[in-house]
Amino acid sequence: MTSRRWLDLAAAGTLATALGAGLLVPPEQTQGDLARIIFVHVPAAWLAYLAFVVTLIGSVAYLVRRDMKWDRLAAASAEAGVFFTGLTIALGMIWGKSTWGVWWTWDARLVLTAVMFFVYLGYLALRRGIVDPDLRARRAAWLGILAVVQIPIVHFSVLWWRTLHQPPTLLRPDGMQMDAVFRGALVMSLVAFTVVYASLVARGVERQRLDAELAEAVASEEVEVAGAAITAPRYGEAN
Amino acid sequence: MKVPFWRQAAAIAGKDLRTEFRSGEVVMITVPFGAAALMLVPLAVGTDARLLADIGPGMYWSVVLLFGVLVTVRQSAVDGPAQADLLGLLGIDPAARFVGRVMATGVLLLIFESILAPVALALYDTDPSGWWWLLAVIPLVALGLALLGTLAAGIASSVASATLIPLIVVPLSVPMLLAATQVTEGLQIDATIVGWLLLLVVMDLLLAVAGVLSARTLQETTR
Amino acid sequence: MLDTVVALRALGVRIGDSPILRDLDLDVVGGEAVGLIGGNGSGKTTLLRVIATLLVPSRGDGTVLGADLRDESRYEVRHRIGLIGHTPSLYPNLTLEENLAFVARMTGVATGRVGEVLDQVGLGLARGRSAAACSHGMQRRVEFARLMMTRPDLILLDEAHAGLDPQAGDLVAHLVAGVRERGGAAVVVSHEHRRIAPLVGRFVELRDGAITADARPRT
Repeated sequence: MTSRRWLDLAAAGTLATALGAGLLVPPEQTQGDLARIIFVHVPAAWLAYLAFVVTLIGSVAYLVRRDMKWDRLAAASAEAGVFFTGLTIALGMIWGKSTWGVWWTWDARLVLTAVMFFVYLGYLALRRGIVDPDLRARRAAWLGILAVVQIPIVHFSVLWWRTLHQPPTLLRPDGMQMDAVFRGALVMSLVAFTVVYASLVARGVERQRLDAELAEAVASEEVEVAGAAITAPRYGEAN
Repeated sequence: MKVPFWRQAAAIAGKDLRTEFRSGEVVMITVPFGAAALMLVPLAVGTDARLLADIGPGMYWSVVLLFGVLVTVRQSAVDGPAQADLLGLLGIDPAARFVGRVMATGVLLLIFESILAPVALALYDTDPSGWWWLLAVIPLVALGLALLGTLAAGIASSVASATLIPLIVVPLSVPMLLAATQVTEGLQIDATIVGWLLLLVVMDLLLAVAGVLSARTLQETTR
Repeated sequence: MLDTVVALRALGVRIGDSPILRDLDLDVVGGEAVGLIGGNGSGKTTLLRVIATLLVPSRGDGTVLGADLRDESRYEVRHRIGLIGHTPSLYPNLTLEENLAFVARMTGVATGRVGEVLDQVGLGLARGRSAAACSHGMQRRVEFARLMMTRPDLILLDEAHAGLDPQAGDLVAHLVAGVRERGGAAVVVSHEHRRIAPLVGRFVELRDGAITADARPRT
């Protein structure tokens, strides 16, 4: 069995275990069963940030090495990042609605995650729009770098803005009453989702590698040149 | 003969500005468009004077960012493929080309902001206390938006850029929006604003460095 | 006299999934002018862009003015290459004079030359007209004026005579003769073989992305 297949199995196994643990731990003292949402929300948020950093690493490495494997890593991580960022926002909204009766709270982290979500979408839209692999890799690499350079500034500015406007006391994971069992289940979730992320990225990298191989095979010597599609004009009998 | 960096940048900026002033698109179209947007919001939210005075600064800066990005999209369209080839073969330093484009776009955004500011003041009747600090904020935002927009245009060129450039610019301009609105509101309540001004300066510096470093790679094309 | 100006070996170019040029060998030496001919879609413009260092080949190797087409040295020779493509590169909102003055400023040429070259191409009286208000032929004359001003070592002309009246057609001959005299080279793409035959030392024919003939023109 390939290492990717082992990774898929590990992801499935750890995820099942972690989610099971999350469902089995006693309800949290202040929020009850609603708090179980953090077993997905917190790992998703952690992975949204991790995916961003990995995209940065891939982008910088590509520009330095000009090896397409780094570009594939950056792209696969961004694809996973969109998923986890969207999941973070959706769960954050569900939590907010259940806790305060509003879908959106202008919490600094939620706003930052939303900004990251739009940036990822822009990154993927850029990649979709460029056919040439080298051009796509170069442009996407610089967007990946620009985005990560800007994100700490975005984070800092939004956080600062929120402190000035005195937000309601948020029930955050670090502010919750968590006993050791609950905390243990949260750690298991973090590990499990990280393995899931690794599995998704590995699959994404492999898929892109195969796409590149296919494109290379299609573009071999046996294919007709583009100009062969142009023939001499033929005038109709009426002329 | 090798032309010095700043002379190249100045020539690019001069060319872009001359082109823009002949077409008049920023002053004749984008400014009225922005003013119309400022007018639209009270029609939608109600004309309560207090409400409008409160949201005035935020509305002004939101319009500056959302519509200002159209200026950078417009500027990126000045060089078509034939012009890009010409610029490439003239031996222009890519960083000089970036800096020149930023200078021109920055001037246009400065004009855009300066004309819209009294419009916003009039429509929203916002307290203009400490307005002289805006003499620092307005250029810093113009520069930051010019840098971000020109970078985004370089990244997105040849890829449905009219729609992609705004998608790249707007989320990443959040710190600019927050800093600009916090300075404006802070001036009204005598709050400290130096930190927000520093944030704008830091952001502009980072974007300038990123733009200069990425210039060659982004202007290179294998088309 | 310059030695090898262009040297291409087993050159291939692919744009997206489409091969455009394949397995191309070409040498052009100093003092030489080559006429590049071929049907629509044969790859002439693509080859010209590769020689101009604006397009990196997908396969093979090449040097232009001593610079390798694949590495950073190609940026060092770009200012010695003059390309006139089939789409005018003038800025429509600038006058003819302003367009050339911009080029002069970017290349360190005295701006006084602008008026001189515009006179030489017969557009002295139209210098204040905006490029958008000028015909395709007039804009092409300005492009010729640009090359007369910058005096590159390698001239690349795509559809050399397109839009030019018979008077202006002499400009092509003037430019090509000038660069040859200076020891440089020219590659001229044209469908009007008879018009360029007196200017070039040989014809290279492209068909289906490959060179199928390379011979001196019949006199």
